[in-house]
Amino acid sequence: MATNKREYVQSAVLGGSSSAHPFRRSLAGIAVGAGDRIYALGDDEVRIFEPGGNFLRGWKALQNAACLTVDSDGRVYLGAPGRVEYYDAGGSRAGGFAAGEQGKPANVTAIKVFRKEILVADAAARFIRRYDHSGRQLGAIGTRNKTGSFMLPNRWLDFDVDSKGEIRATDTGRHLVTTWALDGSPRGAFGKFGMSDPADFVGCCNPVNLALTPDGKVVTGEKMVARVKVYEPDGRLLAVIGPEHFDPDCIHIHLAVDSKGRILAADPARREIRIFSLVANTGVNKPVHPEAFESSVNGSKWRSSAYE
Amino acid sequence: MSEKTTRRQFIDRSARIIGFAGIAGAAGLLARRATGNAVYQVDPFKCTACDLCRTSCVLSHSAVKAVNDFEKCGYCMLCPAYFDVMSHPDEKGIPAGKVCPQDALKRRIVGTVDEDDPNNNYYEYVVDEALCDGCGKCVKACKPPAGNGSLRLEIRYSRCVECNECTIQTACPDHAIVRVVTPGLPPKESPGDVEHV
Repeated sequence: MATNKREYVQSAVLGGSSSAHPFRRSLAGIAVGAGDRIYALGDDEVRIFEPGGNFLRGWKALQNAACLTVDSDGRVYLGAPGRVEYYDAGGSRAGGFAAGEQGKPANVTAIKVFRKEILVADAAARFIRRYDHSGRQLGAIGTRNKTGSFMLPNRWLDFDVDSKGEIRATDTGRHLVTTWALDGSPRGAFGKFGMSDPADFVGCCNPVNLALTPDGKVVTGEKMVARVKVYEPDGRLLAVIGPEHFDPDCIHIHLAVDSKGRILAADPARREIRIFSLVANTGVNKPVHPEAFESSVNGSKWRSSAYE
Repeated sequence: MSEKTTRRQFIDRSARIIGFAGIAGAAGLLARRATGNAVYQVDPFKCTACDLCRTSCVLSHSAVKAVNDFEKCGYCMLCPAYFDVMSHPDEKGIPAGKVCPQDALKRRIVGTVDEDDPNNNYYEYVVDEALCDGCGKCVKACKPPAGNGSLRLEIRYSRCVECNECTIQTACPDHAIVRVVTPGLPPKESPGDVEHV
């Protein structure tokens, strides 16, 4: 089956220093809700933007929260060290529970909702925990492999879940995107370490961040060479975005995708959200940004940016 | 009357002098102790691992060594401070080259060993200080975003010969060599390789 390459263009930037609503101290997470509203977590606040970028409203949230998600009813879920909190659409606290075990609080780095379940990435325990809304743990994802957990040298675990409940998760130390059923059964993986082929993942531990498009493509965020890539579900590379769009020192690029396939990439180092719109499936084997692809292919350029 | 006053003044003055001398002596002793425990050290937040620690020390084998902070270390299989990730990969896809020119960074598997797939192992990295010359290449390679920043340079007091003016401090463009008071210093090694400067 031929792979159609994809082409994206940057269509908007939110939250930068020159914007009306800049993130002054932090930008920790991003999500897309109903009507493609953009939910961002920064400065210990949840801020909601219209799809075009206009600020709608915001509220003070849990301190030190590291991630957020929003369900179809507009309920917002935040993950913080050892804690999950959720808020109704108006921003009033609706509930919460301790995440992790007694004496071993979860290091919550990603959170998603699937039907009645809250899925929590615990980078301390190195697996994904399934909870109901009362905080009762229903199961674990990522434990049925040789080591009983993900390998996370950078202490970060990210994942996304599709409409059928299939989970894609980063296994950074192994340089893999892994696939899991909701019951924790492994369904496969793709990816490997490499510094020359742009389809590979660079450095010690990548990809760091992950999101799924509505049509099932896998979007990854990498550090060391700060870039976003789009893959077919089987691992064939479709597009490379960056690294010119991101701070070279950023260690995360938080990702979300809206219903139109726009990729929202939050750069915590610059505290700005860049939105990339899908222009076309070009059907030709060319990169999104030729200079970025050149940079990816040419190892010496990588070296100069990463090590010197 | 005047004679009695003079004696009293004499006693008073003598007491004052003795008191001041005592205070000054104690202060001097404390100051001496404080400076006696002060050492040159590398501020890891300023250090850019520029390689001058290796070349500027009066010792032919620098007193500066790389150390690994195990709390921060990711125990990576593909440690960017250990492997030259830009070097040509071997048949297993692992970079063939190493970052350290002295091969001073050593590693071993910790925990359960998977002989078949190295990606399933965690590796502990330690610096062989007898080999390390303080060039800082591993420190530079471990800095974020590539690594966790667990490696840093330290002046080993046991080797430092405490020059009046530390030659590395003089050379350091980042002002990363600072004087810090440290209690409980370890015993000195014999500085057998001091160069005459």
